Amino acid sequence: MKRKLFIVTSVSAALAGCAPIGTALNNSAAVRRVLAAAEGLTYTAIGNEHALAREYSESDIAPVFRVNGFATPNDAAYAKLIASRFASYRLVVDGAVDRPRTFTLAELNALPQSSQITRHDCVEGWSVIGKWSGVRLGSVLDSVAPRDDARYVVFRCMDRDDSGVPYYESLDLVQAWHPQALLATSLNDRPLDPDHGAPVRLRVPTQLGYKSAKWVKRIEIVGSFSRIAGGHGGYWEDQGYEWYAGI
Amino acid sequence: MKDSNEARYRYTLTVRLSHWIWVVAFALLVSSGLQIFNAAPYLDASDASNPARRVLAIDSPQDGVGTTALFGHTFTTTGWLGWADDGMGEQGARAFPGWITIPSYQDLADGRRWHLFFAWVASLCWIAWIVSSALKGNLREMVLSRSDLPKLWPMQAYYLHLRKEPPPYGTYNPLQKAAYTSIGLVAAPLVVLTGLALSPGIDAVAHPLTVLFGGRQFARLWHFAGMLVLIAFFCVHVFQVATQGVVNQMRSMITGWYRGERA
Repeated sequence: MKRKLFIVTSVSAALAGCAPIGTALNNSAAVRRVLAAAEGLTYTAIGNEHALAREYSESDIAPVFRVNGFATPNDAAYAKLIASRFASYRLVVDGAVDRPRTFTLAELNALPQSSQITRHDCVEGWSVIGKWSGVRLGSVLDSVAPRDDARYVVFRCMDRDDSGVPYYESLDLVQAWHPQALLATSLNDRPLDPDHGAPVRLRVPTQLGYKSAKWVKRIEIVGSFSRIAGGHGGYWEDQGYEWYAGI
Repeated sequence: MKDSNEARYRYTLTVRLSHWIWVVAFALLVSSGLQIFNAAPYLDASDASNPARRVLAIDSPQDGVGTTALFGHTFTTTGWLGWADDGMGEQGARAFPGWITIPSYQDLADGRRWHLFFAWVASLCWIAWIVSSALKGNLREMVLSRSDLPKLWPMQAYYLHLRKEPPPYGTYNPLQKAAYTSIGLVAAPLVVLTGLALSPGIDAVAHPLTVLFGGRQFARLWHFAGMLVLIAFFCVHVFQVATQGVVNQMRSMITGWYRGERA
């Protein structure tokens, strides 16, 4: 009986001690480095970066496309863009390219358009299906002729967190030229509204939603993102989320 | 079935190692999984997150109150679910409480790091275990075969004291084999597969897997249900070890040597 009591007591003590130990381990730099190793393994194991996200039919489109992410920009510059119906919007595409250039919304809309009905998968766990139309990212990138030292495509956005830190994201070249990587200008057959990232947002259906940056104002092609912001290739990546968001 | 009281070598090193690696991995996968669940504390039987088909929702409708809605029935679960330990020494709006999640405070990014790392550990360990067991022939001793089926009820009857002697069996009794087969070869792999199915990258590479489970949100539902099945197995397993010679059982899973009659 004494032995049973001893076992019950020690098991309960062990359980009670787990939470602080787990949290302490979580905050150890060495443990974090080890845990982070899984990301590269996952990216390598999934392997096929050219695989296409599943496309749905019109009847699968959700009646309301849930809004998430940062609040819609409310600064004077964005208010002016809305007032001009985005006629004054310019998308800058530059960096390690031979022919940097800017696009107006009309110029983007004049390029060959592509549509997809795909599922948006939030890292939090929920999903929503919508129809996106716009320009294939790859064709915009082709037009600026990236140089040989180009490795990543960085998206600079107009939205900021509560402390004023701007949102940004990045893709590698294979992800950026993926046929479903879209610079979307319309959602469910209507021009993108401000809450969903107007006038131009990224759409990457093979990865979690945080990769699909909203309110894109500049696309910068770089050799490395280690000197940009926190150095992890994206706003959420700088907060500890995986750069490869396919899982 | 009274055998000699001599020690027998029952568990190979691979079995013992994988057993204890799973103990650690399972604890961390559950606690990080609940951390991840907390980011969207509901389960929808609908690929489009249709709230009308919500199966489970943990919520805090107002400060100081936690509720859990299961199949449309709402229960007050203040202190346990919905409004609970926030992992920073206070009570707050939290689906699963801080004492069960890793890290204790709400942090989806860190929860995902633990979860995706130990998902690899548990899966690679499972592959090593199954290959080793198959090569050594131990797998046959563990897997339920057709000849075990007629022995399932007599074994259950023995446990219920309806029968004096258990039916004859080898290393593991037929009920143990049924449990090990359904958990080790069915439930655990299904939990891994449902976890993979809810990832957009895997969905792109292997649509049929996600379709098989009914879509991403259904996969999330099955993933959670699978966790409950594994937790149930864990509880029964620990109860049995604790009540059937805990020292002998623990020693055999640490050193490999099991003493006395077969059970």
